[in-house]
Amino acid sequence: MEAGQAVAAERLLRPNVVGRSVRAAGRAARFVLHDPALLFASLLLGILIFLAIFGSVIWQKDPLAINLDQTLQPPSWAHPMGTDSVGRDVFARFNGGAQISLSVGAIVVVAGALLGGLIGVLAGALGGATDNASMRAMDSLLAFPPLILAMAVTVGFGIGLKTAVLGIILTTIPYYARLVRSDVLRVRSMNYVEAAAALGASRPRIMARHIVPHLGSTMLIQAGAVFGYAILAVAALGFVGLGAQIPTPEWGTMITEGLDNVLTGGWWVGVFPGIGVLMAVTGMSIIADRARDIFDPRGEYIRV
Amino acid sequence: MSRVIISRTLGAIVAVLGASIISFLFLRVAPGDPARLVAGPLASPDQLAAIRKQMGLDQSLVVQYWDYITSFVRGDWGFSFGTGEAVTTLMRQRAMASVELGVFAFVGAFVSAVALALVATYRRRPVVDGTVRSISFLGLGTPPFWLGILLLLVFFVWLGWLPGPEGRLGPTTTAPPSVTGFYTIDALLAGQWATFWDAFRHLLLPAFALGFASFAYLVRLLRANLLEVGREPFLVVTRSKGLSRWSSYSRHALPNAFLPTLTAAGLVFAQLITSAVLIEKVFNWPGVGQLVVDSILRKDFAVVEAFILLSAILYVIVNSLVDVFYGVVDPRVRNPTSV
Repeated sequence: MEAGQAVAAERLLRPNVVGRSVRAAGRAARFVLHDPALLFASLLLGILIFLAIFGSVIWQKDPLAINLDQTLQPPSWAHPMGTDSVGRDVFARFNGGAQISLSVGAIVVVAGALLGGLIGVLAGALGGATDNASMRAMDSLLAFPPLILAMAVTVGFGIGLKTAVLGIILTTIPYYARLVRSDVLRVRSMNYVEAAAALGASRPRIMARHIVPHLGSTMLIQAGAVFGYAILAVAALGFVGLGAQIPTPEWGTMITEGLDNVLTGGWWVGVFPGIGVLMAVTGMSIIADRARDIFDPRGEYIRV
Repeated sequence: MSRVIISRTLGAIVAVLGASIISFLFLRVAPGDPARLVAGPLASPDQLAAIRKQMGLDQSLVVQYWDYITSFVRGDWGFSFGTGEAVTTLMRQRAMASVELGVFAFVGAFVSAVALALVATYRRRPVVDGTVRSISFLGLGTPPFWLGILLLLVFFVWLGWLPGPEGRLGPTTTAPPSVTGFYTIDALLAGQWATFWDAFRHLLLPAFALGFASFAYLVRLLRANLLEVGREPFLVVTRSKGLSRWSSYSRHALPNAFLPTLTAAGLVFAQLITSAVLIEKVFNWPGVGQLVVDSILRKDFAVVEAFILLSAILYVIVNSLVDVFYGVVDPRVRNPTSV
């Protein structure tokens, strides 16, 4: 009897994590399979993620190798996406671009959420002068059209992919901060938070245990939008010459290189990297849109 | 109402000041040498020292900021080392080309967004609605500069229907006498039909590439608003008192769905001004955007610096005007606490 109780207690304390996550993955897979749009979006992103990780294994051409005998070859079995004006393999470069763009998207989403979330939580929790000062600072950042602010960062701190990413992160911070702040204010006024305070919970504890866990769905929806924006922005900065610099296989700089070839008939140099951007951004924004439907606070569109 | 105007004006001033501090910090205090940025990569050490002195980089930060602001307000935006001309002159020469392109892009995007949102929601046919939604998703995910290249490829290289990247007019057409700065309108005023047609054909592709993202955003917004308004009880009332479906839709649903779209004006403006930087290069459009990109490539940063602060100021002005205008059109938002 006692042993049985001990096992039960053990179960309560240490739930079967593996089994649970397998079941959760199964549920998620069924959910995706029943939703054609979501399936399509996952497929788009899945292909890109696969090419980013395993692209250099299945297609072992060097994205930087110049081959002047093979310039501007149209797509063929030897070069599925053709070659550019100095004979580099566009498919190998496309895979490199997927690597750069997807990592930039992930880095910007996480860094923006952490920094912006921190500012939002502090502003919402502390209120008063902190709130005022941080929100005025956020307003100043929002006074710029986002991409222009990122341009300012790259011009001031030196042109390159790293500063471009820094600039893009900076432009996402105010959006996260405002959203999180208003969420914190909304949750803070709820009864159960008051109850926790009445029970003697300290302010940091209330923040950490009762308010921050509520921010998840807002953050998730926002993250989807930010991911797409980051990929478009890094390509745009690369295109105007403020981001990744020219031999780097980055989609935006590849489109710049393709600009001249288009008029002379070499469409493949600039067209394929743009398709990459389109796949990544569209895939993610369909997923973000669905996430919004599901987590919609008004609950009008819930279909789970 | 006047209270809204005053508070918005104050808010706008604070935002512009904040923006100027940020651009000052990034462009003048950041680790890159601002004198080098302004003087260009080829300047000699003596020239650099002179420019440092001229820019007051040996002064305290407060004095430097004050100089930065006052010279911007006076219209003293520095000189392009590439052409040696004043930045203000360069921008003024090119402003109208960008404005004409932007206006065309916006009007086209707005009109087609209204039409498609109506088509998508009027009959509630899932196929039509799904198509419209897919187009808007594509529009939001397409890099505008890449769309420009694609359009050139299809309509110029392959089909040959529209002119290539040769700017505002074909090589044999001369510019119409300048009245408004819009080549299309100036040509009409002068009665030069051929010039008008040429200018119009040159506008089509860049305006489409520039406006497509805004169009996609507006369609999404209008469609959602129309669906929301469509659920309102007052529409049932208009139908039950005998209005036809179309007049209940066009007279009562549409105006109400438009209102929230106004708040998107700021975002659309931001899209247009940043896309202009990206698009004009593709089409060789002689506007401010191309000037900025060419300056970046030449490392001629006086132009870029001025453009950055200028676009922030314009953006704040547009957003504030939208807020005030929204208050005029919709009394409910004038005093949010009373709702």
